[in-house]
Amino acid sequence: MKRFLETGNFAITEGAILAGCRFFCGYPITPATELAEAMSLRLPQVGGVYLQAEDECAAMHLCIGASLGGMKSMTATSGPGFILYADPYGWALGCETPMVVLNSGRVGPVSGITGAPGQGEFYLTRYPTQGGNFETVVLAPNSAQESMKVVVDAFYLSERLRMPITVLADQLITDGMEDISVPETEEEMKEMGFRVWPRSYHRGPDFYPATDALDIPPVQMGHNTGALCSDWTPTEEGYDIEEVEAHHKHAYRLIYKVRNNRHLFSDMHEKRHMGDDPDLVVVSFGTPSRVVNTAVDRARAEGLKVGALRLINLWPFPDELFRRRTTYLVVELNWDGQLVREVQRAAAEGSKVHFLGVCGDLPTIPDLMETFTKLLKNQPLSRKGWELEAW
Amino acid sequence: MAYASSVLVDKYLRTRKIPSTACSGCGLGMNHKIIVQAIAELGLETQDIIWGTSIGCAGRQTFGTWKGDGFAGTHGRVYAIARGLRVTLPPEKKLILTVGDGDAFGIGLLHLIHCARSNASMTVVVNDNLGYQSTGGQFGFTTPQGAKTDSSPYGMFEHNLMSEGMDVLDILKAAGATFLARHVAMEGQAVVETMKKAISNPGFSLVHMPYPCPTNFAARHLGSRVQVNIYNWIKDHAAPMGQEKPDTIWRTGIYHDARGARPEFSEHVWEAVNRIRRTGRL
Ligand code: SF4
Repeated sequence: MKRFLETGNFAITEGAILAGCRFFCGYPITPATELAEAMSLRLPQVGGVYLQAEDECAAMHLCIGASLGGMKSMTATSGPGFILYADPYGWALGCETPMVVLNSGRVGPVSGITGAPGQGEFYLTRYPTQGGNFETVVLAPNSAQESMKVVVDAFYLSERLRMPITVLADQLITDGMEDISVPETEEEMKEMGFRVWPRSYHRGPDFYPATDALDIPPVQMGHNTGALCSDWTPTEEGYDIEEVEAHHKHAYRLIYKVRNNRHLFSDMHEKRHMGDDPDLVVVSFGTPSRVVNTAVDRARAEGLKVGALRLINLWPFPDELFRRRTTYLVVELNWDGQLVREVQRAAAEGSKVHFLGVCGDLPTIPDLMETFTKLLKNQPLSRKGWELEAW
Repeated sequence: MAYASSVLVDKYLRTRKIPSTACSGCGLGMNHKIIVQAIAELGLETQDIIWGTSIGCAGRQTFGTWKGDGFAGTHGRVYAIARGLRVTLPPEKKLILTVGDGDAFGIGLLHLIHCARSNASMTVVVNDNLGYQSTGGQFGFTTPQGAKTDSSPYGMFEHNLMSEGMDVLDILKAAGATFLARHVAMEGQAVVETMKKAISNPGFSLVHMPYPCPTNFAARHLGSRVQVNIYNWIKDHAAPMGQEKPDTIWRTGIYHDARGARPEFSEHVWEAVNRIRRTGRL
């Protein structure tokens, strides 16, 4: 094990390399640029390729190409680049091409504030492309160390589920300096819970079987298996077809290979002070959860029955974590409230769901403490006005 | 030697997809046959080639026809997929892309330019049906000036990418392409010879090949779906370079042949990677 004082970008790079990633293609964008830079330095040292594309749309398409040729590949961007992934993301979902996509969230809409953290892509990562008829898997770490593990997990899931996996981080995670341990041996990787799945390829002829089964090798070009992949609805052999029945089979696969295999990632969340059925559950993901955890510890020390639930697996949304009727407070880095909508939908009947949004900055502990106290006393959240009233 | 179509089909194509679902009288099959003929004359086998396609008439009608491996990109993106795939393939494997004019010279031009810039080994055959025909017949960027289409009812009055001094082949040449040619579908064996050079180039090749679309382009512009009319119209407006007439639209022949003049993209990349890995520097 080697220890470093380094950024999340460093941790993500090392995690990707440990997972077997040997192809990275990106396009400079704050705050994902440093990840591309780290990849450009490290990948050639381990025999991998770093390429810079003409835009983000091309970057993810190059990753598709590399993955079709058998290389584990990755791209990274921020919100304005993530929307340009819409086209290749759909292709990769449809053709079931494994790869990892990292989105380091900043403040939007559009270019917004480039150098501050935001969480405006909670829903966009669920629906990164048009057309529907698919599930997506999205994972959100909250520290540099965890981002390494999450990236390794993302590669693992992308191979087993045969699909792109999104890691949703934010500027503080990717750029922040933290204490990072990098495993050096396979034993150390196992000790740290790192799961690695090797790349294999499909020998045909049923490249797109209508099943929810795991571990169907991905379609690859170059082995003369007669493999076909395209943007059209495929038959099981990969021919393009305009038939509802074939489409139904394909959609079944894209949806249920994820829904029926959630056990692969459904434990990816963190519960804090949740053992005694707290009166208030604070829900968050990513960087704000770091502040939430501290605030909840402090609230407990003051005798308030508050717990924290941090989601790492954001999509498919873990409804089962919200089965208990209680009061929920959702803390997010946006003013419009995104995660809170899902919590409202999933929360047991009779629950109360509240929202605390900030953007470009983190919530403060005094703000959180004050909000906890008010909610536990059933007082209205009037302090900040509009950003709290909506929910 | 010229091969009978049936021999080519048996050896290289999938009977499930050939004949294709193109309109009867469509000229795309001529282009397709020229490519497969060139492949046969070069002695290449199915495992030597991975075939990529775009969408639209040219892409969809050729997708899945190749007996070996094949892929189709979303509109305009197949070049970027091919460039990523190129990195993973051994140099002896060929990439052939059959695409349309809208795909290559409209939505995909940026990606195409970067394939040329990096001299990524692939042969892009732009099957030009003179516009967007699978959507019913709108003008594209190589639609002849003055042509009447569904979206240019008064005649196409914008500058196209074949105008003097702004030919798309000049753009690609300046971007670094190492083999560029233009032929119309009816030029027969001359096109096969060009295609063989294009495919054997260890770098980026593009062959621009206008072909007759009787169903949409001809119906609107010539007022006739009779195949022979559009076949003759294209033929009459094409001439080998140096033999142009005043009404020549397509100057045909090899525009640029710099095969082997620049390092190929993936070989260049791997050379750099291996050197850095060994010595820590370039
Ligand atoms: S619309 Fe034109 S180009 Fe397309 S298949 Fe029909 S004839 Fe061919």
